[in-house]
Amino acid sequence: MNAKVDHFDPIVFERPGVTLTRSQVEAFGREIDALREEIMADLGEQDARYIRNLVRTQKGMELAGRGLLFLGVLPPAWLAGTALLSVSKILENMEIGHNVMHAQWDWLGDPALDSSTYDWDNTCPAEQWKHSHNYMHHTFTNVVGKDRDVGYGIMRMSDEQRWNPAYLFQPAYNWVLASFFQWGVAFHDLEYEKLLKGEKSWAEYREQRRKIMKKVRKQVGKDYLLFPLLAGPFAPWVLAGNATANLTRNLWSYLIIFCGHFTEHAEMFSEAEIENETRGQWYLRQLLGSSNLEGGPLFHIMSGNLSHQIEHHLFPDMPSNRYKQVAPKVREIAERYGLHYNSGRLSRQFGTVLKRINRLALPSRRTRKNATV
Amino acid sequence: MNVITASNSHSGSPGLIRRLGKALSTPFDPEDYLALFNPLQSAREIRARVTGVHRESDQAVTLTLQPNRLWKGHRAGQHVLLGVDIGGVRHQRCFSLSSAPGDALTISVKRQGRGGVSDHLVSRCREGDVLTLAEPAGDFVLPETTPERLLMVTAGSGITPVHSIVKSLLASNFDGKVTWVHFERHYQQLMLSDSLAALRQDPRLDLRLVVSGDSPRDGDQAGRLDAQWLTENIADAAGQTVFTCGPAGFLDTVMEWHGEHGRAPLFHERFKAAPVVAGEGGRVHFSRTGGQAEAAAGLSLLEAAEQAGLKPKHGCRMGICHTCKCKVSKGRVRDLQSGESRELNGQEVRICIHAAEGDVELDL
Repeated sequence: MNAKVDHFDPIVFERPGVTLTRSQVEAFGREIDALREEIMADLGEQDARYIRNLVRTQKGMELAGRGLLFLGVLPPAWLAGTALLSVSKILENMEIGHNVMHAQWDWLGDPALDSSTYDWDNTCPAEQWKHSHNYMHHTFTNVVGKDRDVGYGIMRMSDEQRWNPAYLFQPAYNWVLASFFQWGVAFHDLEYEKLLKGEKSWAEYREQRRKIMKKVRKQVGKDYLLFPLLAGPFAPWVLAGNATANLTRNLWSYLIIFCGHFTEHAEMFSEAEIENETRGQWYLRQLLGSSNLEGGPLFHIMSGNLSHQIEHHLFPDMPSNRYKQVAPKVREIAERYGLHYNSGRLSRQFGTVLKRINRLALPSRRTRKNATV
Repeated sequence: MNVITASNSHSGSPGLIRRLGKALSTPFDPEDYLALFNPLQSAREIRARVTGVHRESDQAVTLTLQPNRLWKGHRAGQHVLLGVDIGGVRHQRCFSLSSAPGDALTISVKRQGRGGVSDHLVSRCREGDVLTLAEPAGDFVLPETTPERLLMVTAGSGITPVHSIVKSLLASNFDGKVTWVHFERHYQQLMLSDSLAALRQDPRLDLRLVVSGDSPRDGDQAGRLDAQWLTENIADAAGQTVFTCGPAGFLDTVMEWHGEHGRAPLFHERFKAAPVVAGEGGRVHFSRTGGQAEAAAGLSLLEAAEQAGLKPKHGCRMGICHTCKCKVSKGRVRDLQSGESRELNGQEVRICIHAAEGDVELDL
């Protein structure tokens, strides 16, 4: 026990080698707030140009890609078409759709880039995504039992989740989830296990499922029916190209997202830990529960700037093109408070994700309950 | 006429073609892709290209607009919410349409201060620029049966909607008489002067220009509007249907005169809404449910709505998830995090982190 306990300023955060008092945590929060205000006040024409150019580039690539796939009997055309369509789907889902739906671009006043009306090229309906992601995942980040991104209801990503024998197979079905990631995303908000526990009504479940299926029919109709039919005798090449593009997008987004919260040092939290959480503590949890990926400018754009996962979690509605600019400042603040800033190259970070998946496939050896937040 | 025939023969096919286009571009619209080639293309907003810029003076401009197919026309005298991107950000403001229905669409804009929409349109708008328009609105329009004698009383930029009304009236088979008195300080500020000169040739129109700051030219008068002006200068002014538009003080004078003497209806158009009273805390009106609530300073609009028994959709209650975004029809709100206070007019805010300052009308 610490001999000089200050009752007015208790220690609220402890990790090996670091303790922070309540006032220190709040000071940390104020520094992060100040950073946010600095950037948000500076938004302007260049940011607007960035997103609009990106949308034009993405739409142009998509048109070119789909056009080339009609000539898909020629192998170079098929390869180029599939590559363009894959990249355009990745850009649309990640750097455009995900970020627009986070209201990062609402300040433009442009109905084409507004969080309340945008829907993305993905089987998950925007409305449900905004609930499961913007609200549940971003508010309760890495809180086991609240944040459904912790394993998407099928994987064990934290010691806090109770083990069962099905998890023995997770190192294998992890890859199935990766391949069908958009479907995992679309259906994970159904929260079927809540239904089984009786926390959710069948009526609510059916209504949600109806909305998902409506979107699914449109998405499948477009990529697997209409575009192939339009190609007439070349239908198989178009179908294969579209399927490959969707698969590529699934694998890539899975990779980026799993590296965002499930790396070796990304922390998990319990519901008890977040009771009466202050804004400073919330920031702290976002920092400790997220991990960054290092790479060049193109890599950051292709990852939807989720390579700056920490900054995205601190500032979910800040335009993503600004994360690069705040990242060194966030890192500096974190280091000054002795907090771990989790960052590394994709290969290294993903290696630790796989390690976690393998380790948690087996029952935990002991309860590893430690610090408080 | 053949224009109408052409668009009619076109209207049979869009059903299927459009549905196919929509299915191929889902969840977007075909226009989102066509916009790569033509920025006027949009499925969700009326966009218009500026095809003519006519400088009325260094303070005013008339823009000719070519809208996309979502524009369904307007009635003479109506206004439109016009949007323009300034520094990448959409800014919107209402302007009266100055053209008569059927003619090329025009708006005539006088500069109101610096840095806003009118300033941008007057100083920087060029041919080829793309603007957005909302549906035309307003009931400053001629009644179903046109009265035989009409009196138009305008001042300054109040000329624009009345120009539209008079022009469309004279283009119709109207066989009554219109008297139009327009008040201006200097000739230099007069908008639409070319068109006025042409309209003046029509015997059905008695157009009088009254200037207060220059010596009057041929046929014009010197003076300014006061309580007696209309009675003294217009024969049987009180017996005519009046249309009036102009600055607030001017309108008040016309309306007071009409209240005292007028025997026929009066239609008026006010450009600026009454100023909003700002203060600490305020009263929140819920426009959909009809109720209202007193909100103390620092109480979020979300909490105020909940205290009033409403259940607005919300999520994090800390400003990050944007689930609670709700339109403020009008009023001043304070951002509880940054302390910034701003006046809103139909924009959406996160009601969990904004509080009322004075009267706020919320779309709940």
